[in-house]
Amino acid sequence: MKNNLKVARIQVNLTQQQLAKKVGVTRQTISLIEKGKYNPTLKLCLEICYAVNKTLDEIFWVDKGE
Amino acid sequence: MQKIKDERLLLKNLQNLRIAYILQTLGIIGILGYDLITKGIDGMRENPLWFVFILTTVVSAFLSMNISVEYESQKRSPKKGFLISLVVLTLISTIIGILTSLSEGFTAINGVLIAGIIFICGIVPISYLYYLRKKSIDDHTD
Repeated sequence: MKNNLKVARIQVNLTQQQLAKKVGVTRQTISLIEKGKYNPTLKLCLEICYAVNKTLDEIFWVDKGE
Repeated sequence: MQKIKDERLLLKNLQNLRIAYILQTLGIIGILGYDLITKGIDGMRENPLWFVFILTTVVSAFLSMNISVEYESQKRSPKKGFLISLVVLTLISTIIGILTSLSEGFTAINGVLIAGIIFICGIVPISYLYYLRKKSIDDHTD
């Protein structure tokens, strides 16, 4: 699923590795989420949002049909 | 080795386990099939793998009840279903028990024993199903 995680992560100056450590997953998982190849659970989405200081809809919202 | 906390890897791990389980089951079926051909059905039953195979089949059947209960429509009350199953089970085990005790070479005690065994084997899944249905209704009303 498409998302804006990469932009949000760069805005707060975090590398994939740093973000991964913060939310307790591996770097590969963050990479796959950014590429839209893995759908994280709501719990992980929230953890990521807290880490990059954004809300769920700012990062994971996609318009219907997109 | 570190404990895996990454949800993606946990999921992947489960999928890997599934593949291993499928392979293992195929292997067991293969060995039992070989025993069946070379030693006949009694020879196959002597193999301890037969016990493992039956045990895992029963466990997976019980676990899949867990899934199928959630697919059921909620119209029927679990208590009614339980009572109907209980009556049918009692009838079946009684009939088999009577027929067994009337058969040649079997005493009345054999009949009672077989009826009892069938009844106990039947009552376990019926009660489990009742428990699951009741639980799923409770979960829905919350």
